[in-house]
Amino acid sequence: MKLRVRPWRVVLIIGLILSITLSGIAYAALGDRLLGRGSKGPEVKELQAKLVQLGYGLGKVDGKFGSKTEAAVRNFQKDHGLRVDGLAGTNTIKELKRLTSQNTNASGKAVGNKAIDTNLLARCVNAEARGEPYTGQVAVAAVIINRISDPAFPKTVADIIYQPKAFSSVDDGQINLPPSASALRAAQEAVNGSDPSGGALFFFNPAKTKNKYIWSRPQIKKIGNHIFTK
Amino acid sequence: MHRKFWIGALAVALLISLGWGYNEYRLAGEYRLAAENNNHRALTDFASHLNQLETDMAKGDVASNPTQKILYLSQVSSKSDSALKDFAQIPSDQAGLSYVGEFLTQSGDFARTLTQRIAGGGTISAEEEKTLRDMHERLLPVNQKVQDIMNRMDTENLVWIDPKPSLRQRLGFGGTQIAEAAADGSEAPSKSVRSGLDQLDASLQKLPPFSYTGEFATRVVSKPLGLPSGNVTRGQAQGVVRDFLNKVGYTNTTPEFAGESQGPLGGYMWKYENADLEVSRQGGVVTYYRDQRSIDPRTMSIEDATSRAKSILKALGWQLVLTSSEDYGSYVQFDAVVEENGVRIYPDKVRLMIALDNGHLIGLDAAPYYAFHHTRTFPAKITMNQAVRKLRANFKILESRLTVIAKTGNQEIYCYEFRGQYQGEEYLLYLNASTGAEEKIQRIIKTPRGEYLQ
Repeated sequence: MKLRVRPWRVVLIIGLILSITLSGIAYAALGDRLLGRGSKGPEVKELQAKLVQLGYGLGKVDGKFGSKTEAAVRNFQKDHGLRVDGLAGTNTIKELKRLTSQNTNASGKAVGNKAIDTNLLARCVNAEARGEPYTGQVAVAAVIINRISDPAFPKTVADIIYQPKAFSSVDDGQINLPPSASALRAAQEAVNGSDPSGGALFFFNPAKTKNKYIWSRPQIKKIGNHIFTK
Repeated sequence: MHRKFWIGALAVALLISLGWGYNEYRLAGEYRLAAENNNHRALTDFASHLNQLETDMAKGDVASNPTQKILYLSQVSSKSDSALKDFAQIPSDQAGLSYVGEFLTQSGDFARTLTQRIAGGGTISAEEEKTLRDMHERLLPVNQKVQDIMNRMDTENLVWIDPKPSLRQRLGFGGTQIAEAAADGSEAPSKSVRSGLDQLDASLQKLPPFSYTGEFATRVVSKPLGLPSGNVTRGQAQGVVRDFLNKVGYTNTTPEFAGESQGPLGGYMWKYENADLEVSRQGGVVTYYRDQRSIDPRTMSIEDATSRAKSILKALGWQLVLTSSEDYGSYVQFDAVVEENGVRIYPDKVRLMIALDNGHLIGLDAAPYYAFHHTRTFPAKITMNQAVRKLRANFKILESRLTVIAKTGNQEIYCYEFRGQYQGEEYLLYLNASTGAEEKIQRIIKTPRGEYLQ
């Protein structure tokens, strides 16, 4: 049987394919359409990157809206007073864009996020106090901030965190894990001056340490599993 | 046939594992060398910065002309900062309070304070000159000791940290523990760089602290100034908590006791559902409250939250003005301070968080208020017009008021605050209300959550 090629059909099919793929690639900007389970494309990638930046981990940033991305969107919505539906619609994307936008000076010039110290602090909180109550996370961040103003410690966040043997999370590499949303918020809060530790310089988990020095320090209080000391 | 095959396969496997092992060994060696080089660099830098610090301190002491004095003293502060940074990189087996670190911080801090004073046209008192000389005297043996460690590093193959006790020692068959001796500060020759530094630390610990005013003058927190007098019992504290919870929207509560806390603002900790609270022992006031309940979708605007914050403050018995807000999406965080006769007293601060679903209070941090609040007497001041004339030309004033601001080292200054613009940037400038001297500059940054001061 002879195959009859109809030119107008070929044109139609090629046109259809082109319009579908191009609409997906060229005109996709975050916020143009509702994103949900099964969405794909660069705008999903942008959405994922912003979620990760704010501490909502979702595995790999791959441009595919899967179950992990949905869970991250849900958590984000829950934390930010939005309706929890797992869909990235106008409001959710607006809030995401607001929180990840750059800081500006008075005349509106972008000056970057200026969050270098907060970020490292959040990594340390995440690694040292994951699973602790939120107050305990703020307290861990506050301990590092308190060390800066104590004469016996180094004077920058990085110097304090990376001081040899100061934090076990540096020795076992957990410091390199991306910080969670609550760790980021706790770090931010401590940088802004909150100190639920009561001026502590050390903290330790009594079930895990036998270090004589740390047990000899005057204890201030216990929050979650950590004892905070002078 | 079969046997030959197996022998061959095993031989290949052996060769592969040998190759792999060698490669790993070589890599480990490279990493060890890289780490060793870094450690050496830190120690050498430390020694060399200490050395320069010692020289500059001597020169700063002898210099008589103000510009020379500023030069050497500012070098003292920058060299001690560098030395501190190097010191923090030297390997150790545990971190704790370091007296070497404290000494370096204080000498740098003291030199900075003096530099600023001389740069502002001031002079150094005889007592301060003596403190500077004392610091130099104390630095000399420190410097010597570190150089000694450097020398022994080359001659005696000093290791970085004391080796862990061997199996034989752990089982109790002889051998002394060097670390114990080092912790005591006894002068047995150290076997490692770290134990040498620990001995140095112990010897500095025995010396009396310096007395001077500066940013890092002390590690002791002063007594809280704002707590009401008289102590409360645990039972009374529970009553305070119930009363507080009632005012923030929880009726008929039975808060659980969650332990006691020590320190200047110490007291009783409580837990109710998802909320944590702390009531001070002295005065029996709520110093900390944090509700971690899950927050429903937002129904309120920032303006609604602001008026809620004001009414909650009133209900809790505070007379404060709101100074800033940060929008976290599900809640807004406000800072509120005391305003007395038009003077904003920034150290007396209360932070509160208002949930945007129902406008209830979900967070309160009153520790700064209770630590610093007291009745203040204000010195004579220059007029607002005189202060305005001290500002630089082209600084466009947007707001101005009298304030009390905190300066590091628990000092307070009575100031004029000017919020204004200069060259497209917005600043807060603080001019000393009695002298007109510029005390502090803060730059205002607009973040996605609100304004931020740098």
